[in-house]
Amino acid sequence: MPLVKGNRRGSAPGGIATANPPTLESSDPECRWAAARGLAGHAEAVPALSAALVGETVPRVREAIMTALIRIGDTASVEAILPYLRSQNAGLRAAAIEALQAMPSAIAPFIAPLFSDTDSDVRLLATELARNIKASEATPLLCDLIEREQHPNVCAAAIDVLIEVGTPEALPALEKCAVRFAATPFLPFAISMAIARISGAKA
Amino acid sequence: MDDAEGPSSRAISISAEDVQRFCEFLYRRTGMSFTEGKRYFIDHRLEDRIAATGSSSFQSYFSLLRADADHEIEHLINSFTVNETYFYREDHQLRCMTSSLLGAIVSRRPLGSTVRIWSIPCSTGEEPYSVALWLMENWPHVDSYNIEIVGSDIDTRALRAAAEGIYGDRALMRLSRGIVDRYFKPVADGKHEIDEGLRDSIQFTRANMIDAQDMANYRDFDLIFCRNVLIYFDDASRRQAAENLYDCLRPGGYICLGHSESMSRISPLFSVRRFPDAIVYQRPEADHG
Amino acid sequence: MGDIGATAKARILVADDSSLVRLYYRSTLEKAGFEVEQAINGIEAMEKVLSQRFDLLIVDVNMPRMDGFTFLRSLRCGSNDVAGLPALMISTEAQMQDITEARAAGANFYLVKPVAEAELVRHVCVLTGVPL
Repeated sequence: MPLVKGNRRGSAPGGIATANPPTLESSDPECRWAAARGLAGHAEAVPALSAALVGETVPRVREAIMTALIRIGDTASVEAILPYLRSQNAGLRAAAIEALQAMPSAIAPFIAPLFSDTDSDVRLLATELARNIKASEATPLLCDLIEREQHPNVCAAAIDVLIEVGTPEALPALEKCAVRFAATPFLPFAISMAIARISGAKA
Repeated sequence: MDDAEGPSSRAISISAEDVQRFCEFLYRRTGMSFTEGKRYFIDHRLEDRIAATGSSSFQSYFSLLRADADHEIEHLINSFTVNETYFYREDHQLRCMTSSLLGAIVSRRPLGSTVRIWSIPCSTGEEPYSVALWLMENWPHVDSYNIEIVGSDIDTRALRAAAEGIYGDRALMRLSRGIVDRYFKPVADGKHEIDEGLRDSIQFTRANMIDAQDMANYRDFDLIFCRNVLIYFDDASRRQAAENLYDCLRPGGYICLGHSESMSRISPLFSVRRFPDAIVYQRPEADHG
Repeated sequence: MGDIGATAKARILVADDSSLVRLYYRSTLEKAGFEVEQAINGIEAMEKVLSQRFDLLIVDVNMPRMDGFTFLRSLRCGSNDVAGLPALMISTEAQMQDITEARAAGANFYLVKPVAEAELVRHVCVLTGVPL
């Protein structure tokens, strides 16, 4: 019979684990990957992980560093990731917001300040964070944002979240938005969909 | 189809907008989508879940769902998918294994070398045994290589059952008469025991996919069947599990998910590969990072 | 929606993580006689591109797990028959560097959000060769 009862490990030696312990500063991405993975959940490693994130160009390693920070999941982890919301790199911005979304309790106090950030790209990305909190908390935050917001794409992003979480409390703000953006493409569609959705939803 | 549902669930009305909200959430979270014609499918299951959770309204159920209280996401997904385990389930992936994947796996390997396949979670063993049976019945080169099959699960009771290898008729329903005769023998209570040689050749172990230390014991797999588990995990666990599985694969190794699962909802670590019989995911060959 | 298939002018895949944007493009393009499929990010887009026939891809830049640039670059360097599929890239960004990056990634055209219905239909017709 060609079936052989294997051992879990296969015939390969231990690999990196038995050689020099992997470090975040290594020039070898495999080592940095292994080092980041080994630090998951170690709260004291936040500064090292944070430093490693700066200038990390290999997406997979970046992913592992962020996972390690998510597993720690405290305010320091959030603060380590926040700056990347301002990155020029679309992939890095997306990775950052995804990581922050995975830490709902740690990110909660940051949502309102992010909604008031001077950078419209940051405000736009931050709207996603309101998806993971209670509807009763998300609605006022999002309404406050759309009432002040001049940037159509930021409003559109906020409305995309409202359509999922919005309570009837959101209707007045949406109606005001409709007036402000009456001549802007897409917004009238988005707002009327959101109004219909929220009005039609049974309490 | 008239079920005997209690009056309480009938009293809760679900508007078209509620269903829209729910469908968008389900699509975003799992990738499952339903055409207009299949909407009754949703209404029914939604009503069931609202009743099962004792929710007084769609809205309170939806809040519960969004917060994944009491693993509601898992219960919900289970209600949409048939989670029965049986031999040769999703056989298109087994076919993909012999038609496409193994050829690539052994292409740069000498005859007589080892191919390592992992079923995790293996539950009560139907999956790893199916891999073994399928290989022996369908792979022309099965005698030219050593095949190591490992089956792992977090549930030790399931593992004990897997090691025992005793199954009822339902589990065998997709197997031909010939295969049942060749590889199973009848035992008490109308059940069937799988061939002792097969039982002895598969290594069953307890493993927790989210535990990196645990998973560090598993390396150099060419093919991993990881079906119908990743989609249930929360963000942090999913990332951890995906990174663990990546490390358990050889570069160029393949991973198969459940038929209603997609890496688009799980992890960017793997490349999408399309074969005639299935979409599978691959750990990149060289290190592209 | 279900009967469009037989007489659709072309099949389009819309990749955008916003359900409202997808709904907007879908209703606009279906009214114009196109058949529309959706994807939520670059990974799902890749799965669908490899499994179904499309005439045009509409790709948002900012998507989770795999952004539009990464998806397009990956598509273009594949060695299969979909590598050359026309792609309309849509983004919130209007800087020259973004347009340059889109071109480098292999986009055939670039639009800035929010996109007007007429603008969308016009560009889709150009890129699919379907008369307006």
